Amino acid sequence: MNRAHTLLAHWGVTGVTTAQGLALLPPVAVVMLQNGQPKWIMLAVAVGVALFWETLFAILRKRPISVHGLTTALIVAVFVPTDLPVWQLTIALSLGVVLGELIFGGRGFGFLAPATVSLSLLVFSFPQAGLAPISPETALAVLPGAILLLILGLICWRVIIGTMLAALVFSVAQGLPSDPTTIATALAFGLVFLICDPSAAASTDPGRWVYGTLAGGLIALFSGGITPIPSEAVVFAALLASTFAPLTDHLVVLGNAARRRRRNG
Amino acid sequence: MERFQISKGLRVPEKGVAAQVIDESAMVGRAALTSADMPGLRPFLEVELGETVRVGDIVFRDRRRPEIAFAAPLSGRVSAIEIGPRRTLSALIIEVDADRDNESAKPPLGMDTTATTTAIPEVLLACGLWPAFRTRPFGTIPAPEAIPDAIVVNAVSGSPLAPDPRVVVADRPDAFLSGLTALTRLSHGPVYLCQDPGAALIERLPEGVEAAVFSGTSAAGLAGTQINRLCRAGPRRKVWRVGYQDVIAIGHLLDTGDYLAERVISVAGPRATRPRLIRSILGTDLRALAATETTSNPATACTILSGDPLTGHAADFLGRYHHQVTLTDPMHPAGQASGLHSRLVQRSALTPLRGLERAIAIDVLPVPLMRALSVGDAEAAERLGCLELIEEDVAALSLLCTSGADYGHLLREVLDQLAEKAA
Repeated sequence: MNRAHTLLAHWGVTGVTTAQGLALLPPVAVVMLQNGQPKWIMLAVAVGVALFWETLFAILRKRPISVHGLTTALIVAVFVPTDLPVWQLTIALSLGVVLGELIFGGRGFGFLAPATVSLSLLVFSFPQAGLAPISPETALAVLPGAILLLILGLICWRVIIGTMLAALVFSVAQGLPSDPTTIATALAFGLVFLICDPSAAASTDPGRWVYGTLAGGLIALFSGGITPIPSEAVVFAALLASTFAPLTDHLVVLGNAARRRRRNG
Repeated sequence: MERFQISKGLRVPEKGVAAQVIDESAMVGRAALTSADMPGLRPFLEVELGETVRVGDIVFRDRRRPEIAFAAPLSGRVSAIEIGPRRTLSALIIEVDADRDNESAKPPLGMDTTATTTAIPEVLLACGLWPAFRTRPFGTIPAPEAIPDAIVVNAVSGSPLAPDPRVVVADRPDAFLSGLTALTRLSHGPVYLCQDPGAALIERLPEGVEAAVFSGTSAAGLAGTQINRLCRAGPRRKVWRVGYQDVIAIGHLLDTGDYLAERVISVAGPRATRPRLIRSILGTDLRALAATETTSNPATACTILSGDPLTGHAADFLGRYHHQVTLTDPMHPAGQASGLHSRLVQRSALTPLRGLERAIAIDVLPVPLMRALSVGDAEAAERLGCLELIEEDVAALSLLCTSGADYGHLLREVLDQLAEKAA
C-alpha cells in the first residue's frame, strides 16, 4: 500500500491544498526576495481577496470555512507584475476564484484551475498590464515542490513530458530559437502549478498525453516567436488545454467502452 | 498452466504475518449468519428464537428463491434474530447450549451423491452450500437453475496475512479433489483453479479443471482480477467464483453427507498477539476471538476486520466469504476519525490522483468510473465496465480517494439498478 497516497486520502482535499501550498513556498519565497515590497503588497492583497470570497461562500452555503484560496493567491501573486494597480488584481482574482472554483462548489469540483482563470481574465481585461516573466532562480525553486507533488501523485509526469516535448517540437517546427533550458525555465512554474493542476488536467492516462501535447503545442503557438516564452502564452495554453481536458477524457472513455463491447461480443 | 503477474493494485502492509500452522485449540461459543455479504438477500426464517438446531440444519431460505437454503454453522440454540433495513438479516445468532450434548450431529444425507449430473445442484441447494457461489456480473448468489459459462476457484492467498491455501488443502486433500470434480459437472465451460506461485495445489487435476497461477499485489487474490484475466464476465458471459474452502466443504458433503461448517482462518494484523491459523467455523464470533488474541486492553481498543486490511470491514462475526481476521489499530482508514481531524479535514471532492490509476488491476478507467458511481449514473458505469466489479474490487479506490466516498456502496447501488434492468 502506498503510504503517500493513503495519507492524502486521509487528509482529504485539505491535504491536497496543504501539499500544494508547501510546494509553492520555495518559488514564492524566491519571487518575494527578488522583488521586495511591491510584490509583498500584491501577495497580501491576493491572499485577502481569495480568502474573502471563500469565507463569504462558506457562510452563505453554511459550510465549514476552508483556505483553499491560499494556493490560488500564491500562484497569482507570482505572475502579476509589481506595477499592477491593486483594483485590477482584485477584480481579476475575484472573478477567477468565484467563476473558476466557488460557483462549482469549491476546490476540486470545477474543471479549471482558479489561478488560470484569474490570470487569463487579468490579461484579457487589462492587456497593457502583462505578466511577470519567471526568473531562472524561481524556475529552479519549483523543483522540490514538483518532486513532492509527483510523489504524492498530485501531478502527472505524462503531462510534464508531453508538454515539454510538444513545446520543443513545435518551436523547432516553427523555426523559433529552441534552447531546451530556456523553454524549461519559462515553463516550469506555470507547467507545475497551472497546467498540471489535478482538477484542470485530464484524468485518464491516454488523456494526459493528449492534454500535455495540446498544452505544449498551444504554448509554442501563442508565444508568437518571442523568446523566452512569455508567461501569457503559458497561461492561455493552460486555459485552453484544460477547457478541452473533459472532451479528451470523454474520447478516451468512448474508446475504452468500444473495446469492451467488441470483446464482450 | 497459465501464469499472471499482477502489477497494479495495492499491497497489504505486512505487519502481523500469520504463522502457517493450524492451531486446533480454538473454541467457538457463538456464531452468526448474516446477509451483509449477500446483497439483496431477504430471509424466510425456518427456525424460531430459542429453538435448538444442529450443524447443517436449515435455518432460513431466500425469500425470492426458496430453493436456496442456509445452514446452521454450529449446534446450539438460536439466541437472537436481528432483522436489518429492508428486511435483510443483520444477524441470526446461534449459541452453544451448555446443557446439551452438542456433538449429536445431523444424520448423514440419504442421497447417492456420486451418481448423476443433475443431482449436484439439488444437493448443494438443499444442504446450504449453494451460497458458496457468487456470480459475475453482480456478485450475487446464482439462481437455482443457472448454469455458468465458467467457474473460478479462488485459492490465491493475496497476502501473507491470509491462510496459505496449500496448508488448508493439505489438511483435507480428498475432499478438495471431490469438490473440484463436482464443480466440473456444474459448468458448461472450464473450471479454473487459481493458485499462488510455487508448488501445485494438488498433484493431479481432475478432467475439465485448468490451473492458473496469480502472483503480484493483493489484487491477485481478488476473484474479480482472476475472472478478468481468465474469462472476462459480461452481460452475456456469466462466471461463478467459489472459495477453495467452500470447494472442500462441497467435496466433504458429497463424500460423507455431512455439512462442513469448519473453516481454517488466519488471525493476523498489527494487533494480533500470536498471528496464526486457527480451526474455526463460518460466522464465528470475532469479538470473543479478539478478546483472547490481542494484547490491547480493553479489546474494543482494536479494530476487528473480517477480511484483509484493504477489502475487509469492521464486523462482529466472520463474513461468509472471508478466511481472514485482521486485528488492527483503531485509526485504520476504514474506521471512524474524530475530533480535530474531522473538523480540519474536508472530504468532499474527488481529486484525480495518479495513485488511483494503479489501484485496481482490472482495465477500467478509475476516475471516470468513480465520477459515474458518485452521481449514480448506471448507464455510464456499465459502459466503463462496472459489471466486472464488485465491492471488494473497488475498496482500494475508497481507500485512496480524497472524497471519502464509499465506492463499494455506490457500486452496489448501480449494480442493483443494472440487475433489475437485466432481469
